[in-house]
Amino acid sequence: MASISARPLVFYELDSTDVNAPYTSGPGTFIDLLISMAGAENLGHTLQGEWVQVSVEELIRRNPDYILLGDYVWGGIKPEDVAERPGWDAISAVKEGKVLPFDDNLVSRPGPRLVDGLEALAKALHPDVFQ
Amino acid sequence: MIAGSIRPYLYLTALLIIALLLSVAVGVVFIPPGIVARMLAALVPGSTIPADWPQSFDAIVYQIRLPHAILIALTGAALAGSGTVYQGVFRNPLADPYLIGVASGAGLGAVIGLSTTWPTRGNSLYTVPIAAFIGAMLTIAIVYNLARVGRTVPTTTLILAGVAVSAFATSLSSFLMLRSNEELRRAFSWLLGGAIMGGWAPVIAMLPYVAVGLASILLSGHTLNVLQFGEEQAQQLGLPVERVKLLLVLAASLTTAAAVAFAGIIGFIGLIVPHLVRFSLGPDYRRLVPLSILAGSSALLLADTLARMVLSPQSVPVGIVTALAGAPFFLWLLRRSKDQAYW
Repeated sequence: MASISARPLVFYELDSTDVNAPYTSGPGTFIDLLISMAGAENLGHTLQGEWVQVSVEELIRRNPDYILLGDYVWGGIKPEDVAERPGWDAISAVKEGKVLPFDDNLVSRPGPRLVDGLEALAKALHPDVFQ
Repeated sequence: MIAGSIRPYLYLTALLIIALLLSVAVGVVFIPPGIVARMLAALVPGSTIPADWPQSFDAIVYQIRLPHAILIALTGAALAGSGTVYQGVFRNPLADPYLIGVASGAGLGAVIGLSTTWPTRGNSLYTVPIAAFIGAMLTIAIVYNLARVGRTVPTTTLILAGVAVSAFATSLSSFLMLRSNEELRRAFSWLLGGAIMGGWAPVIAMLPYVAVGLASILLSGHTLNVLQFGEEQAQQLGLPVERVKLLLVLAASLTTAAAVAFAGIIGFIGLIVPHLVRFSLGPDYRRLVPLSILAGSSALLLADTLARMVLSPQSVPVGIVTALAGAPFFLWLLRRSKDQAYW
């Protein structure tokens, strides 16, 4: 893999039933490990617990570069929906159009498919250096 | 409208302002109350306050915390105001805004709304509140008509019908929740009093109902005083008891339903706040009604601030806090003042 210059901060959204506090994957989950292997930093890595809620205020404070919508396939959440959530337009991922749909089937169950998930993550998070 | 000394009004207004500032200041990012005050003052048209705070505060205060605080304050005011009216109309110290089925009707509506919109939830933000509101109003209409005996609606029948219909609606929603194996978390968090929508949309949607409801409640102090003589006496004093009862129950239920629909089911505020005010300031409803409304919004704001603090950055449904903190406090007050019969 080509070298990367910076590790972007990524928020992986598992579920946004509560738009004020969506669920994400915490430290030690394989989504967390895969994001780290894909050359990025998982926002949920510093939280406590495996599958945790994080308040939108915390998201605004941490200001992630990317938001991956893991609830796109199963929940039908689209990037446009994210921009309409109150307060979310202050997050740089939303401002710069880096809210991306992501097929959660690739990363939510352990198995050989995780490799495809890693590839998809690297492609999404480092579009300039991915070959 | 302001009866008696003005001092309690001033104290409670000051408390409300402090609770509001605190509620906006506290969160994942602490914003000093001084800055909050300046940010709020900057909203006043024509003010010349320079925006010298970090830019991220704008989104946090104006789009997240301020609308949330106003939603909570309105809900507290609605619950305490309608609680006072229910206690006055039913002349029953146990009456609360949920007595004749508002909560369980709203709960059933919300659960139906949730189970029918699944799995396409893209635009379903409004379905839960609207379904809850319809559920609450339908339940009250059913209860009121069931309680009718000839041309009157006796208070006892009204409470009994309310309790029975409530039980029916509650078990129906439990059944629906058991049957649907998805989306329980949202229904559950709503039932415990979590405001599941953010931003200004829910505030704007509930404001007209709560404003109309609270305005009619505010005008009812004198009528409630007369009702305390008992229905027959009140009738003899020239009060059209049946009509007044219908109007008061309708106003209180409309107010509660609107608040419940958008803020979830929050227990205890509507029960204890009127009692607290009655303990400390006496039973005159002309004072009790406006002071309970003021005290209710402060109480719920403080409870909500606590709910957002204890497990930060996550939050606890505020209904849990109002019951956990409210029940012991209420019992302490009850024991302390058991020598004087205040009711």
